[in-house]
Amino acid sequence: MFFHWLEKNPFFFAAAISIVISFAGLIEIVPNFAKAAKPLVGMEPRTVLELAGKNVYMKDNCQSCHSQMIRPFKSETDRYGDYSLSGEYAYDRPFLWGSKRTGPDLHRIGNYRSTDWHENHMLAPADIVPGSIMPAYKHQFTNIADIETAYAEAVTVKNAFHTPYGPEFKRTRAAWDAHRPKVLDDAKAIAADMKNKDVKEAVANGQVPEIVALIAYLNSLK
Amino acid sequence: MNALMIKALAFAAILMIATIWVVMSLDIDIVGDSVNAITMGGALAIAVITAAVSVKYINQMKTDTASGELAEESWDGIGEYKNELPSGWAYSFLAVFLWSMWYGFAGYPINTYSQIGEYNEEVLAYNTKFEVVHKDADNATLLEMGESIYLVQCSQCHGNAGDGLDGKAQDFTSRMSKEQVLEAINNGANTLGYPMGAMPAGMAKGADAEAIAVYVAGGMKGGQPAAFGACSSCHGLDGKGNGGMSPSLVEYDATLMKYTIQNGKKGSMGKMPAFKTLITPVQEKALTVYIQSLSN
Repeated sequence: MFFHWLEKNPFFFAAAISIVISFAGLIEIVPNFAKAAKPLVGMEPRTVLELAGKNVYMKDNCQSCHSQMIRPFKSETDRYGDYSLSGEYAYDRPFLWGSKRTGPDLHRIGNYRSTDWHENHMLAPADIVPGSIMPAYKHQFTNIADIETAYAEAVTVKNAFHTPYGPEFKRTRAAWDAHRPKVLDDAKAIAADMKNKDVKEAVANGQVPEIVALIAYLNSLK
Repeated sequence: MNALMIKALAFAAILMIATIWVVMSLDIDIVGDSVNAITMGGALAIAVITAAVSVKYINQMKTDTASGELAEESWDGIGEYKNELPSGWAYSFLAVFLWSMWYGFAGYPINTYSQIGEYNEEVLAYNTKFEVVHKDADNATLLEMGESIYLVQCSQCHGNAGDGLDGKAQDFTSRMSKEQVLEAINNGANTLGYPMGAMPAGMAKGADAEAIAVYVAGGMKGGQPAAFGACSSCHGLDGKGNGGMSPSLVEYDATLMKYTIQNGKKGSMGKMPAFKTLITPVQEKALTVYIQSLSN
């Protein structure tokens, strides 16, 4: 009989015990988790410009001081807006929940801050918010964002995880050349709301300063 | 009583005596304090019962002989009797089985805890209380509430003092600057969503526009320039917006606050996002009181 065999093989016996013990957990937790982790209906993956901005966000380590996770408590939803749902992070690789709020939560920042505010704030945070200890991020106005890597990232997650980027996202130079103008158009729309002349000039010359990508990303956090 | 039992009882007695000796040396009153006395009695009972039960089973293991019918299975020479289920165990099993049926099909689905449910209850309870407490709030309360809302939601752009941080946002200490009036006249305006609809660009030009701008920026005091006729058909002769049909040019009235919070605004200085999900009607009233206090 089967259990005779099982009793003589301690490894498989231990494995069978684990399955039996965790059975209730498996059938209760795993399907629920899989359901909750699906993207929300109608949710679009981030554009290439926003992905580049997300990389700037990670590069400058914003997640060390800012969370992106509004918990379902009244005190939080009063200040930051609706509580976060797990499906909202479905396309975030990695997610940037963060675990420390030296600064405020940013998960819905796009709802209540605008391009020009971010521009003023990144140059001199304490001038805009008295008492703020956030450092200035002036280098973002001169550093150029890496939109090619962001495009490659989009193509990779499309191939590896079936993130719903369109059929035009392909692993070829020609596909990138065809997509690049769209990224620059997005950047121009952001730069149109900005005042910094160097940034406007860079965008007009086909370059995307980090601040433009970062603002595109922050505006997409809704 | 055999030798083993005597040994066990002696061991229990030694344990008890040792315990009492330790307790005595700690200077604790055992006899006088009833709680201490009961505790010591309990300890004594546990020691005696443990010793007696152990002795009973050790003796049984020594003297008992096997009886009853053996099951067919044999595990490396160790057999098992075909015994009836102990009744206590059987009834417990039955009770747990019935409970699990109830829990699986009725208890859990109906009584399940939900974090979101708790959140909804919390918000509902708070909102109900908030509406009741502040139904007829007086001006001082609204002003205080307005200030704290302002500091959390508005001050990041408009500044702690409401001065708009040197032109980065609307300056609440006055209604409109000359530049803002000229901007609206030259480019039109249509972002607040007033019933009157879009304001077309170029309603007045040159010196007329200049005269209007000076007049409106000055708080509409003194003689009204003739060119203001272009404005008064929509904004009213007094500039107060024809009873909420179009924006007031002289004050931050309740309709201006309502439309700005609901729709946001995009103007020459930048874009103000809509705050409709973050500010409730009572809070809006409070903000109106506070912002009006900034220009008075």
